[in-house]
This record gives sequence, C-alpha cells and structure tokens, in this order.
Amino acid sequence: MNWVQLGGSVVAILVLAGIARMLRLGESRIASAADARRIAEESLAGFEARHAIVGTDGCAALVAGNGTIAVLKRHGAQVAVRRLTPPLRVREAVEGVTVETGERLFGAVTLLGVLPVDVQTLEAPLTLM
Amino acid sequence: MKLPDPVSYAVPAFVLLVLAEMLVAWARDRKRYEPKDTLTSLALGTGSTVAGVLTGGFAYAIALWFWQFRLFEIGYAWYWFVVAFVLDDLAYYVFHRSAHRVRWFWASHVIHHSSQHYNLSTALRQTWTGFFSLSFLFRLPLAIIGFPPAMLLFVGGINLIYQFWIHTEVIGRMPRWFEAVMNTPSHHRVHHATNPRYLDSNYAGVFIVWDRMLGTFVPERDDDRPRYGIVRNLGSFNLLWAAFHEWIGIARDLWSAPWRAKLGYLVMPPGWSHDGSRDTSETIKARWRERQEKT
Repeated sequence: MNWVQLGGSVVAILVLAGIARMLRLGESRIASAADARRIAEESLAGFEARHAIVGTDGCAALVAGNGTIAVLKRHGAQVAVRRLTPPLRVREAVEGVTVETGERLFGAVTLLGVLPVDVQTLEAPLTLM
Repeated sequence: MKLPDPVSYAVPAFVLLVLAEMLVAWARDRKRYEPKDTLTSLALGTGSTVAGVLTGGFAYAIALWFWQFRLFEIGYAWYWFVVAFVLDDLAYYVFHRSAHRVRWFWASHVIHHSSQHYNLSTALRQTWTGFFSLSFLFRLPLAIIGFPPAMLLFVGGINLIYQFWIHTEVIGRMPRWFEAVMNTPSHHRVHHATNPRYLDSNYAGVFIVWDRMLGTFVPERDDDRPRYGIVRNLGSFNLLWAAFHEWIGIARDLWSAPWRAKLGYLVMPPGWSHDGSRDTSETIKARWRERQEKT
C-alpha cells in the first residue's frame, strides 16, 4: 500500500458512508413491547421475558425477566442488550428516564416518555424476591 | 519470483460492490446498512491494511526463514498454485477454528464479528492485531513443506478476495452442487450468527468441505434467521474499542484472576471463566436446548 492507495481508501470510505447516510439507510425502532421481549430473549441466554416498557421513540426498552432486567438500546439499525440486576440505577431525564448500565462505552440508556415510577413498577416483582 | 498483490487490484471492485449492495438495501430493506456501522467497518479495514503493511514484512521474513528448511522443492508451475490454494484454505480452516475456540486468537479475530450487520462492508472489517496474535503461525507448515512464501501470499490474497462476496444477505442460496463444495453467503451467514444453534460452526474460507469433513458444518434454516454480531454486542461504534476490547478484557482478567487460572483466560474458549460465572457457546447451547425441550 502506498500513500495514494491509502488516500484513495480514506476518500472511498467517506464517500460510501456519506451515500449510506444520504440514502437514509439504517433507520429502525423497537416497535412494541412484544418486539422488546423477543429481542431480549434472543440476545440473553436463559432470559425469560415478562413485562416490558418501550420508550416512545422506539430507541430503548426495559424488559423484566427471570431475576434480571434487560436494557435494550437501538444501536444503528439493530438493538444492543445488557442484562442488569435490580434495583436499577435510574435518574430522571428531560423527557423520560435514564438507566445507568455501568459501562462507559455502552453508555446510559434513556427511555423517552417513561417515568421513574414505571421503572419501579417493572422491577418491583424482582426486587421483592 | 515477484507476484502481484491481488487484493490491491480487487479494492476498486470491493468499493463498487458495496455501493451496489447499498442501493439494493435502499430498495429492499434499509436495516441492512447503517452509516456509522459502515464507517466503522471500512475504517477498521483500512487500519488492518496499514497494520498489514507495518507487520507483513516480519511475517514474510519468518516464513522465508522456515522455508530454507523445506522438505520439498516446489516450483512455480500452475498446478502448484492450485495445490497451494487448497492447502492454504485448509490452514485457514485450522486458523479460523482456533480463532473462535482460543481466546488469544479470538481477541484478534473478534473485530470481524463485532458488527451486528451482515453486508459486504462487514467483510472489510478486519483485525489490526493479527501479527501480534501470531496468526501467521498457521501458514508456516506450508512453507516448511516447501511452498514459496511469495506463492502463499498470493493464494492467501485470492482466498481473501473470495471471502468478500459471501458477506451478503442479497444472495439467498447458490445451486446445490455449489453449496455442497464451496463456502457461500448462506453458509457464512450461519458462521456470523449468534443464534445458539449456529454458534461455532462453518469455519471454512473457500471450501465448505472442510466443515463437512470435520464435523463443524451447520446448514442455514429458513425458520431460524441468523442474528449477527457477538454474544455480548459492543453497543458502540468506537473504532478503538472495536479493535482492542477483547485484548483489554484479557488484560483485566489476567490482572484479577488467581494465579492458577491466568493461563485459562488466554487459551480457553471465549467466555470461559475460572468460577463459571460467564457464558461460553457450550453453556448458551445447553440452555437453548433445555428450553427447546420444555416448549
């Protein structure tokens, strides 16, 4: 590889990524609570989904399971999932709640249109165990 | 003998084919591509090429050193290229299987699996740490047999080019005879899938017959669509995290594990832990089978 090839590669990368953006590729959302439950079960071994709450923009969800809670966040056109142990670390956000995952690069997950009390209701059966 | 680098010639075709697949995605299913994911994959690919330039000379010199002790004199006749290509693909199978079953090698290879998308740009998402992980060791037996390192480099390039087109959802299944012998998009989708039934299967590069012969072949099923990525998806498009996260994980485990367990964090399968607190592909499959039996 010489400098021309390296420069050409960088230009090609930027052009392709720009075209993907221009074509509006990658748009998706967590469509429903049933969708969130399915994704949680598919992503986490042994997870049995029960109740779920989904942010109004479809970008995040919480799913209560057998002893743990799955936190889902839209990651590009797909969904990334983490298993958390209740009680969750939750704080109020401007238009919803933010759940801390404890991972800097995964980041905190904000559910729009969801209240802290909704999260408490979801995790109550698990924290009482 | 100086042979051309086939990958350099293929790069423009790679770019055009990615573009064509994007247009198909735009027309059929926009979830197949994601701009940030594509950017990450392509940047990782470029980084991998740069890393290859920086370290490739060392790997080549090591291969040349071993070649001086060769068992046979093998020339540059066309049929030796064919034999080298087939044997190199078998060496690739062994490397690839190790790359999924030994955490040290997985730490380097995981980059290629770290996208949750499966498209032609994923093919270019390649490791930056291949030399560091000693992956070149798997080709050395071919140099010791007597295949010239330049020939091995050439057929390795052809192998890499072949593997580009199988990273797509645009192609369903190829003709039956082709699926029986060659690695195809269908077989390789299975390899990239995290569905429990598909984990740790279809390691082939070009010829799927290696998997069929060695018991690691799993066919794609229409009732279990592949879900792509890794068991614990990154949830981040950070380039450096994608390139080094498993190495960082190994370093943390080596630091905190008791002495008797440290080696295990290097050589045992990904997900292994000395206290059994993490999931390996075996435990995931076992839980999945248990659930299948219940329902």
